[in-house]
Amino acid sequence: MSESQEESPYVESQVIMTTVQLIAPFSMTYGLFLLFHGADTPGGSFQGGAIIGATVLMIAFAFGIEVTREWLRNRTVVALAAGGVAAFGMVGLVPVLVGGKFLEYKMYKEVFGIKAKWGLEAIEILGVAPIVAGVVCGLFFAIAAGYLSNGDTWDSRSPTDADTKSTPTTEVTDDD
Amino acid sequence: MSVGLVPLAVPQPEPISAVEAALFVFVLLTAVATAMLRDVLAVIVVFAAYSLGMAIFYAILLAPDVAMTEAAIGAGVTTILLLLTIAKTVRPNEDRILERVDGTGLVVVGAFAAVLIATVNEFPAVGDGESMAWFNPAVSQYYIESGYADTGVENAVTAVLAGYRGFDTFGEATVVFAAGVATLIVLKRTVFTRE
Repeated sequence: MSESQEESPYVESQVIMTTVQLIAPFSMTYGLFLLFHGADTPGGSFQGGAIIGATVLMIAFAFGIEVTREWLRNRTVVALAAGGVAAFGMVGLVPVLVGGKFLEYKMYKEVFGIKAKWGLEAIEILGVAPIVAGVVCGLFFAIAAGYLSNGDTWDSRSPTDADTKSTPTTEVTDDD
Repeated sequence: MSVGLVPLAVPQPEPISAVEAALFVFVLLTAVATAMLRDVLAVIVVFAAYSLGMAIFYAILLAPDVAMTEAAIGAGVTTILLLLTIAKTVRPNEDRILERVDGTGLVVVGAFAAVLIATVNEFPAVGDGESMAWFNPAVSQYYIESGYADTGVENAVTAVLAGYRGFDTFGEATVVFAAGVATLIVLKRTVFTRE
């Protein structure tokens, strides 16, 4: 309830900054490896995308959320998340356009001469991973920014909500 | 066997090792601590430890894909999002370390746990070669034997998720996207970071 609650939760720490500086390149490489090698070894797009997103979160935790927010444009986050869904849908729809079924990778081989495997790789690398990485980053920065209070109807309504809530709780204790 | 598919190998159930037993106790203790501790910050830290323990458990049970997801999402992203959330709230300043146990809640949770424990005997032993999960010609065996020929990828998990069940994965990916949109709506924002 004090003034300090309103401030950014960021506290500069030499230990965390140094640790993240050391780990971030490796975790980013590991995430990319899981993503690009997920078809043949354990891991895959979801894990890879989550680790890539978590690397950005780690950097934000160490060097300040506001600084990282300045660096990561909303355009990038939306492009990753929405572009991923669009790419996944496109890879699924192309076989339909050439007379196959949704996500029927064999059509890529028959019509375009592309290995069916590349269809799977495409939805992993262009579809799921960008969605997960983008949404993980987006959730973090949106929650860090918090509820947008600009004095609109919802804000003026919330105190009355709190008032009405306090009355039923006393009634419940009476029933017990 | 009637379909003509031969199981790849019939592993025998193994007794639980010391590492597994220690990990089991660790996961159980951190789970109880998560429920019992009063300080929210301590709960988040213990919960992250629980997730890490579960991730190691999945790795031991030969499910590395699940282990990596649990480590990245359970121990990593969830912890960061929870820490971010409590940074915006007020922590109760009390001396009590443990939460007070609610009698009714304990009965309900106890009954639920009893129902779950009653089903444990119905599960096959770990590594049981005769279990349905392992020897299932229509599903598991088919994926194991035909996955590479059908999809061309060596990781059977990827073959199932992106190949055989690609449509489901499309739905799941869209749900993740929808979660991001829902967060913006709840927070009454139009951008995630900055314009």
